Amino acid sequence: MPGSQLKRLKASLKDQGIIGAQKSKKQKRQNAQDAKGTSDKRLLRSEALESIREQFNPFQFKTNPRGPKFDVTTLRPANDRASKGIHGRPGVAKGKGEERRRETLLVEMQRRNKVGGIIDRRFGESDPSMSLEDKMIERFTREQQRSHKKNSMFDLEDEDEEGTEELTHMGKALKLRGNELLMDDFDGEDLPSNDDSDDGMHPDRKSLKRRRPRGDDDGDNDDADEDAKQPEKKKTSKEIYEEVIAKSKFHKFERQAAKEEDEDIITELNKSLPELQALLFQRQKPAAKDGNDERPSATIAGMDKSIVDKDYDLRVRLLATDKRAQPAERTQTEEERAEEEARRLKELEEQRLKRMRGEWVSDDEDEDRGDTAKKQLAAADEPVFDPFKSGDDDEFGLGKGIKLRPTAAELGFDDEDDFLIDDDLVASGSEIELEESDDMEDDEESDDEQDSDPDDDEFVKGLLTAAESKDSVFQASSKEQGDDKDGVPYTLNCPQTLAEMVETFKGVDVTKLPVAVQRIRALLHPKLDSGNKERLGNFSQALIRFVAYLGDNLESGWFPTLENLSRHIHSLAKTFPIEVAKGYRAHIQDIGDNRPLALTVGDLVIFTAIGTTFPTSDHFHQVATPAILTIARFLGQKIPQSLADYATGTYLSILALQYQQLSKRYVPELMNFCLNTLCSLAHQRPQGNLGFFPLHEPATGIRIKGARKTTVRKLNCAHCQPHSQAPTESEANSLKVAIISTTTAVLKAAAETWCSVPAFYETFQPAARVLQHLTSKANSAHMPAALVSKLTDTTSSLARLLQLANISRRPLELHHHRPSAIRTYVPKFEDSFDPNKHYDPDRERAEGAKLRAEHKRERKGAMRELRKDASFMARENLRVKKEKDEAYEKKYKRLVAEIQGSEGQAANQYEREKAARQKKNAKARGGW
Amino acid sequence: MPAATREGGDKPVTKRKRPENGEPSKKRRKSGEGVDNDLASQIQVLESEILESKKHYNNIATLIEIAAKQEDDTEAALTAAGALGRVFVRLLASGSLVRRQDASEKDATVTAWLRDRFAGYKAVLLSKFKTNGPALKALMLAMAVLKAEAQHLDGRDEATFPQSYFKKIINALIQSPFEELRQAFYDNFIVEYDDIRFYTFQAIADILTEDDQPEDETFRSSVFGLLLRIEDVPGSNEELSDFYVDPPAKKKHPLYLLSQHKKQAQEAWLAFINLGLSKEQRKKILQIMATSIAPWFTKPELFMDFLTDCYNSGGSISLLALSGVFYLIQERNLDYPLFYRKLYSLLDADILHSKHRSRFFRLLDIFLSSSHLPAVLVASFIKRLARLSLNAPPSAIAVIVPWYYNLFKKHPLCTFMMHRVPRTKEEKELVESEGVLDPFLPEEEDPMETRALDSCLWEIVQLQSHYHPNIATIAKIISEQFTKQSYNLEDFLDHSYGSLLEAEMIKNIRKAPVVEYMIPKHIFTEVGPTAAPEEKNSLLVSLWDFGPS
Repeated sequence: MPGSQLKRLKASLKDQGIIGAQKSKKQKRQNAQDAKGTSDKRLLRSEALESIREQFNPFQFKTNPRGPKFDVTTLRPANDRASKGIHGRPGVAKGKGEERRRETLLVEMQRRNKVGGIIDRRFGESDPSMSLEDKMIERFTREQQRSHKKNSMFDLEDEDEEGTEELTHMGKALKLRGNELLMDDFDGEDLPSNDDSDDGMHPDRKSLKRRRPRGDDDGDNDDADEDAKQPEKKKTSKEIYEEVIAKSKFHKFERQAAKEEDEDIITELNKSLPELQALLFQRQKPAAKDGNDERPSATIAGMDKSIVDKDYDLRVRLLATDKRAQPAERTQTEEERAEEEARRLKELEEQRLKRMRGEWVSDDEDEDRGDTAKKQLAAADEPVFDPFKSGDDDEFGLGKGIKLRPTAAELGFDDEDDFLIDDDLVASGSEIELEESDDMEDDEESDDEQDSDPDDDEFVKGLLTAAESKDSVFQASSKEQGDDKDGVPYTLNCPQTLAEMVETFKGVDVTKLPVAVQRIRALLHPKLDSGNKERLGNFSQALIRFVAYLGDNLESGWFPTLENLSRHIHSLAKTFPIEVAKGYRAHIQDIGDNRPLALTVGDLVIFTAIGTTFPTSDHFHQVATPAILTIARFLGQKIPQSLADYATGTYLSILALQYQQLSKRYVPELMNFCLNTLCSLAHQRPQGNLGFFPLHEPATGIRIKGARKTTVRKLNCAHCQPHSQAPTESEANSLKVAIISTTTAVLKAAAETWCSVPAFYETFQPAARVLQHLTSKANSAHMPAALVSKLTDTTSSLARLLQLANISRRPLELHHHRPSAIRTYVPKFEDSFDPNKHYDPDRERAEGAKLRAEHKRERKGAMRELRKDASFMARENLRVKKEKDEAYEKKYKRLVAEIQGSEGQAANQYEREKAARQKKNAKARGGW
Repeated sequence: MPAATREGGDKPVTKRKRPENGEPSKKRRKSGEGVDNDLASQIQVLESEILESKKHYNNIATLIEIAAKQEDDTEAALTAAGALGRVFVRLLASGSLVRRQDASEKDATVTAWLRDRFAGYKAVLLSKFKTNGPALKALMLAMAVLKAEAQHLDGRDEATFPQSYFKKIINALIQSPFEELRQAFYDNFIVEYDDIRFYTFQAIADILTEDDQPEDETFRSSVFGLLLRIEDVPGSNEELSDFYVDPPAKKKHPLYLLSQHKKQAQEAWLAFINLGLSKEQRKKILQIMATSIAPWFTKPELFMDFLTDCYNSGGSISLLALSGVFYLIQERNLDYPLFYRKLYSLLDADILHSKHRSRFFRLLDIFLSSSHLPAVLVASFIKRLARLSLNAPPSAIAVIVPWYYNLFKKHPLCTFMMHRVPRTKEEKELVESEGVLDPFLPEEEDPMETRALDSCLWEIVQLQSHYHPNIATIAKIISEQFTKQSYNLEDFLDHSYGSLLEAEMIKNIRKAPVVEYMIPKHIFTEVGPTAAPEEKNSLLVSLWDFGPS
């Protein structure tokens, strides 16, 4: 390698063939022929020079001190820069920075502490937060506003043109900025333009035209425009104004011309007015509105156009609404119909079973249970029980519980699972509700339209026939007009509340109420009036309360009526499920608030109606669940004081059992109440422990005594009403016998219902013991023989069932779950791993780190820039100072030189003068 | 001290007024109004005369007479009592009631006479505690006089608390039939002043230990009411700083010591408990024992016998005594023999229906939370509760099952109760052919001997089909995989029928409920003979008589 820098340069230049020995002419010619073109050669030459320059300035590049990386270590494609290991060019960057500073910072520095100059007041020019587009829009609106304000009488421009004024830039409409092609098309326009009217002009062209005179109004764009259009010369303001005036004169002329033309047409029309009038009056039309003359109404085939149009529209609409011919449904054979019916019933039963199991049938099932239910369901379905999801403190929908003392959470101690729960709650909360609400309404609508209406009709019609068959009075009544002979008017107001209903039905015999209700329903059929729907909804709620009211004031023989009314409510519930459910729930709420342990006969009737109206076998039902809960509350908490309480409890026991006929769910309270009743009514107090049910000591006079001769009867609702006076002994005994007999029957039915429950033996063992206790000698002596035999029967059948239960019982094997997988902690392998990248699994943290790194980088960059700025400024200042000093020095030196020169001159002059004088003196002396 | 300040505020006003327009007003009132005003003005005159000179001291006797005659004129009696209060406070302040060695015989007689009258006046005041209207005023006067007496009666600079008089006040207070009076005393004095509380305890203890105290129930209940109210125990000696009467100068006086306060309280309580308690009082004491009574005791061990007796007595008293016993076990290291056996015996038919259920479960949870208990014992508790749950209200089941979950987590041996696979073929065949008889012995009293561990929780599986959907879901957790660490029992305690119903009812109906498709032909009426054969009477109709009767 050659030693010095210069030698190396020479060598490399020679290598590249840039310098070298002088070529002979022949060589040169050959070279010229070989080369494709000189430009190409020059390009090559400059490239070579560039590379040599780079090569010889080691400070131009920032390189990796350890040389380039091996390919395997990086995923980046190896371009030549990277292959050389060049990271950056500090020299170039420095030069650029210097240049930029000179453009900005230096200018600022020089302008410092100086007054005057041109300030750029264009809107948004110094606001970096606005994008170019925003700036333009803002400027445009400003300009519009300004021009709007300037609308004075002296404004030379026409006002109607301003609306179509458009913002242009470089002669192009800004609107079409993104669509340059389209713009160009218009530029080369060959549209026929009617020159005589301004309005017809193309907005772009017009704006081009307008732009000039308004130049001083719209600041920035037009300045730029001017520069672009006429770079060669600037117009003086006089020229501009002249132009403006010329333009406005031209427009004025145009307008005048247009007006003249209009007048011509008007006069022409005026001439032909008589003819037109004849035409108009011929059609018996009022004369066209004044000013309409120049536009004769269009006619089609001698008819007024508007009439034809109207007619046409009408036809079209008719066509649209016309019912298209549809294929008639084939009349089905008897078997087909039966089959379809069977299929439908099967489907319904399947749905019921699903609901019973607590599964949710697609979309037409309740979602009222909301999240908890879904979660439960999920928990039941999923093989793996999600530990976090079930951490909810109200996961089982138990509600808040009694507020006896603040819970830990309320005191501020957080459950460890809390945040997880919250997440879950939020996720499944609001969104779903929103979605549902829409669907639901639709569903309801369609439900009403499709399913219920036919049923409803059927019921309204069918009811009458059913009633007719039952009671001949109905037949007569339906034929008469006005009030029929039972006093049931044919037209009734629709009562909306209980009070109104009581008032309305005042004169109607209770047994005839179904007729009245039926008439109301017929009168208020939802199809007859839009408001009827709401009215009927209220009516159904009132009817529920009315049934309870009737039940409270029960008289004998009303039950067919109550049944009929309950069925009416049921049929209404098909159309108005929500209203009816609300009605029932309001009643249950009322019971819960006011008389949870003092149920009336009306409540019993309502519970019975609920049991038939709604599917009590559902896992959850908005009405049935609160109802059974209320029943169980009475059975569980009531400590019976009188025989009426026992009778009410017995009724509710039957009802509770009937509720569970299909689903066979267990009701502990029923067992408690029945066993307690039997023990309380037994003649003797049971000795020893009969079981784990709670036993209440009965009030005096409850225990049965000396009822050997009493006949066994059924209970009826009158027994449930508390009596003011104590019943006679025989009555009481008969009631007691009836209660015991019914309770025994309930126990038997319960045993049959729940014969397959796993703890049957434990559940009914106490019952068997109680029955044994009752049939013991001491007790049976006080009961009629028929009852005793019934008791023994029940005892023996129970014993049989108990034995069966023991045999069929198996040890529990509840946990044959698939073992849950152990969590794996093997790290995930990253396929395309990049060491420069951060693989933080925590998204937020990763983003945070990214942001922090960016901030740090920016900070460093900014600091570096500031430092460079400072050094630049210092350098500039120093330069300026040096220049100043130099100038001063120069000036000083010049002055000194000048002074010295003049001094020297003076000295010389003096010398000369002196010499001259000496000479003169000498001469004079010599002369003496 | 509201009473005292009011008293002080009244005095100067009346004093200033009297000389100016006493006479004319008297006349006007006489002519204008009735006898009442006459008496009132008379009292005023009498009072002003007493204050004017010693000559009129006899007026005191007159005033006392008026004050004592409460049955005819309570208003006047009260006015007189008020006037007397002012008179005596002034006399006490001026030292007229102080016996002096150097006093002349005449003066001594006057002093003795005044002291007699003073005692009479106090007696009159206390007698007023028994009538409704003036009782409160009388109490205030009595306490004001008490303060004055404490300050001035001895003639020394230092105040001495007149304990005998205070005891009389307390006695009268207890004998008073008005609960409001005691409440007022508590609100105005006991809460405010530490010394009053101290002496109240002392007085109560004294009264209760006296032999001649009345045996009636009202007396006890009023003592009990008063004691129950005094709840907040001061934390340290420094907090004892509010005194009604000027505090004694001696720094070591018992009034400054918290331990002495506690000792008084303890003595009062012990004296009360020794009297013998009614069942209700016993329950109440047991309920608040750990929270408000025991902190008053310097030696809570003194409760030991009482608590053990209660705990052994059975029923709800046992339940309530449990927390007290627990307090002693925890704080005083009480060793209770056969504790778990006793605890097991508490699980009777009524426990799940009791209103103290959640309280009991909190404690039960604590007692069984140790993982060092034998699994056999834990299994007995589990099985016993399972049996009980067959007759339990839903709110109780809601607690039991999550509690089981926690126990199973702690005692994995017990999980055999949920999952028991027959091990041998013979065993399997035996089960197939004969079924399983529950080996659990429900009558066994020793939880170690019940064989519960060999049994299964069929009861809980049965409750998985509970009528209440949420309870059924809760019961299902024992057949799910046990992936959760534990359930927080607090979420499941404190439910009731009412709260469950409330939880259902607050949800609004948004979705139309499902309606039974078929409208039944018969609800209350029987199926007619002509009906189709598949139609049957419902259970209700077959068991109930809906016909016209």
